[in-house]
Amino acid sequence: MAAPAPPASVLAPATPVLSVDDVGVRHHGHDGLPVATASPAGTTFEVARGEAVLLLGPSGSGKSTLALATNGLVPHVVPATLDGTVRVGGLDTRAHDVPHLARHVAMVFQDPDAQVVTGSVLDEVCFGPENLGVPVAEVEARAEDALRRVGLWERRADDPGRLSGGGRQRLAVACALAMHAPLLVLDEPTANLDPAGTEELYDVLRDVLAAGDRAVLLVEHDLDAAVELLDRVVVLDAAGRVAFDGPVREVLTQHADALVALGVCLPVALVAALRLRATGTPIDPLPLTPDELGHALRAQADAGVLPPARPEGLSARPEGSQAYPRTDQDAAPASRPDRARDLARDGAPDGAPDRTTVDCITVDRLTLKRGRTTVLHDLSLRVAPGELVAVVGANGAGKSTLLQAVAGVVRPPRGRVRVAGLDPARADARTLSERVGYVFQNPEHQLVTGSVADELAHGLRIRGVDEAEVAARVEDLLVRFDLVRQRDLHPFLLSGGQKRRLSVGTATVCRPGVLVLDEPTFGQDRARADELLGLLTALHAEGTTVVVATHDMQLVSEHATRVVVVAHGRVVADGAPAVVLGDDVLLRSAGLRRPPLARATAHLDDPAWRAVTRLADLPGALVPA
Amino acid sequence: MTGFLRGVNPLAKMFGPLPVMAAVFLTEDLRVLAAFTLGTLVLLLVGALPGWRTSLALVLGVPVGVAVVAVSFGLWVDPAAVADTRTVLAFGPVELTRGGLAVGLVTGLRLAALVLLAMVSGLTTTGPEFVRASVQHLRVPYRVGYAALASMRFVPRFGRELEVIRSAHRVRGVAGGRGPVAGARRAGGYAVPLLASGIRHAERVSLSMESRAFGAAPTRTERHPVPLRVRDGVVLLAFWSACWAVPALVHG
Repeated sequence: MAAPAPPASVLAPATPVLSVDDVGVRHHGHDGLPVATASPAGTTFEVARGEAVLLLGPSGSGKSTLALATNGLVPHVVPATLDGTVRVGGLDTRAHDVPHLARHVAMVFQDPDAQVVTGSVLDEVCFGPENLGVPVAEVEARAEDALRRVGLWERRADDPGRLSGGGRQRLAVACALAMHAPLLVLDEPTANLDPAGTEELYDVLRDVLAAGDRAVLLVEHDLDAAVELLDRVVVLDAAGRVAFDGPVREVLTQHADALVALGVCLPVALVAALRLRATGTPIDPLPLTPDELGHALRAQADAGVLPPARPEGLSARPEGSQAYPRTDQDAAPASRPDRARDLARDGAPDGAPDRTTVDCITVDRLTLKRGRTTVLHDLSLRVAPGELVAVVGANGAGKSTLLQAVAGVVRPPRGRVRVAGLDPARADARTLSERVGYVFQNPEHQLVTGSVADELAHGLRIRGVDEAEVAARVEDLLVRFDLVRQRDLHPFLLSGGQKRRLSVGTATVCRPGVLVLDEPTFGQDRARADELLGLLTALHAEGTTVVVATHDMQLVSEHATRVVVVAHGRVVADGAPAVVLGDDVLLRSAGLRRPPLARATAHLDDPAWRAVTRLADLPGALVPA
Repeated sequence: MTGFLRGVNPLAKMFGPLPVMAAVFLTEDLRVLAAFTLGTLVLLLVGALPGWRTSLALVLGVPVGVAVVAVSFGLWVDPAAVADTRTVLAFGPVELTRGGLAVGLVTGLRLAALVLLAMVSGLTTTGPEFVRASVQHLRVPYRVGYAALASMRFVPRFGRELEVIRSAHRVRGVAGGRGPVAGARRAGGYAVPLLASGIRHAERVSLSMESRAFGAAPTRTERHPVPLRVRDGVVLLAFWSACWAVPALVHG
């Protein structure tokens, strides 16, 4: 195809497509005045034509803000004060408005839903070039080329709303490609996607990079997928200054400790290798991807120097065995739950609660419809007191509906669900929410009062608990969820992570025996997700039964005592994380992928090693996850 | 299969029926209204070629709707106000008079004609088509037109969002009593999260639009020109002349 962006071609080849010079951004507060601290602050770096750069940094370092500054959204549209200079294709972003800069920078955002303007895939891709006043024939040529590159040409007539999350995000990439800008900026493009969608997006991005006609600046926290695609990394520190700038491999492997100290999450393969090194297994060179780690481990095993692994919760998985149904077709519906349950029992960690005791949650052949579509098909599930169960599945698999039926958020048919001694179909909402805490995917939805402290107290006050007791419990929760300084703030003014902690706090204030959470890590970075899972693990340790829906596979393997895989409204696997998360065929059939560590250990033959899916299961691992 | 109305400029389909609607609104003549209703119904069936479901709904629904309105209005109207008080039907003490029925029929036919006339545009024009035509011929700024189109996509999203918020508040125990006061308080509680997420979504959409050069130039490329052809003028004039022609023919 033709060389992109004629306007930029008049520039000398050496002109960088992006140059960020001593840039600081101060967002404007609620009073309309710039806040005191800038993030990023004093940031300087350049992106050359055709280069692929990963922008890293801890939460709050201003990565996304910097991304928005590349095409002038900061400061023209997002209210903020910009210090220093951002130039794209030689143009000062301050002197040109966003639509004008769009010839030089194309952008892909996090939320696939919020990037759709028109009613068809084709119109959507044409939207940008049309705005640029490109002649009709060229608009259509660009659109076809862009859609073919992301594999959506066959679906050009569809409504974008009918695409999967991954499909819509690929569409957003096509829209950006059709702008023919020499720089493509992606701001956390996979944060809202399930594993299959993430893989789709990275396959597309790999092709774009291979074509070499665009420079790419990628802001991403999921390094496991991103790390092998890009040549260079720019790492911001907590204040938003450039801490490291260099080749990805060099920066990540040579400065791993410094990066961890900064709060940057490293690729799981690298973390695992560092831990193995620390306990006397020399892995050299350090790996970045699961496959590299796998090869390194394999080499160690072949040399006979790999220490034995003793993963928790597994009595060696027999090679090639198919102990539980891999797909729906493998088992008759009646036998599936029993088989799955048996396996769960076999796979339960030593000392796990005895399943012969009364179940805490029982779902018995539950079928549930939403509108005309059947979302859950004859689904059965049992959860014993004290488990931390992860319900995993692709977007739309029925996870949310299952959890909502368990907590009575949607009414299941009578007699099909039993939770904490109640039938959610009959119990009144107040009694139910006293025994079963439910946390919605978007924490804002369940905030009902005007201050953080009132929000926590609400559940107690409507139950007539006396004020002294209310005050004591609220105080306790404020400390526990690290919200003391925010106690008088309006809940909507909290940061994303704080809102999430508050929503968990409101669900646990009545000290329910069961806590149910729907995708609590959705759209959050690894640090916030870890923080939240830490809270859940603490509640779990105190005896709360926790059921959490998620598609963050590594998180699941690190924290859950049991994994239930849901696909198309059915339970397709149920067992210990070490068993379920190592089965690539099964997970793929459910639209999921193995967590990075499981992908690495799949390179080994030793069943015990193959069952290592958690960092905590590495030999000699003492460092908490 | 597309009816000829689909090829007509959306503006002609919008502004053609308007004077006819006014005529329908003003006339009291039963036969004229019946002619307008029947004429528009035939025009829709032939010109829009709707699927068999819609066709069936129109052919059955219009007479049934007119009959229901005619009878219920006929019963409701003050018997003292109508000229002809001969009884057509009696349900115990309630009597349907000829005069009452005539008033009801006029109302029923008028409503039917208005709905059918609105469907001339509604059944054969999509939102984007109408926006394009308005931008191209009525000098509506494209920024306004396309922003309106983008915002139409918000509506189903708002519905889903409201549903989730309601169940979330129920879980929090906000139920708090029956009656209009409690209901209003509950609705107020939904407004804050709904607005917050609506505004945020709108902001994101606008960031995405601006990043794709929306508003860069005074005009944008139009891949689907919506020309004003001679036949659009003919359709427009045909509708307008129907205002006079139909009554004249009926009384002819």
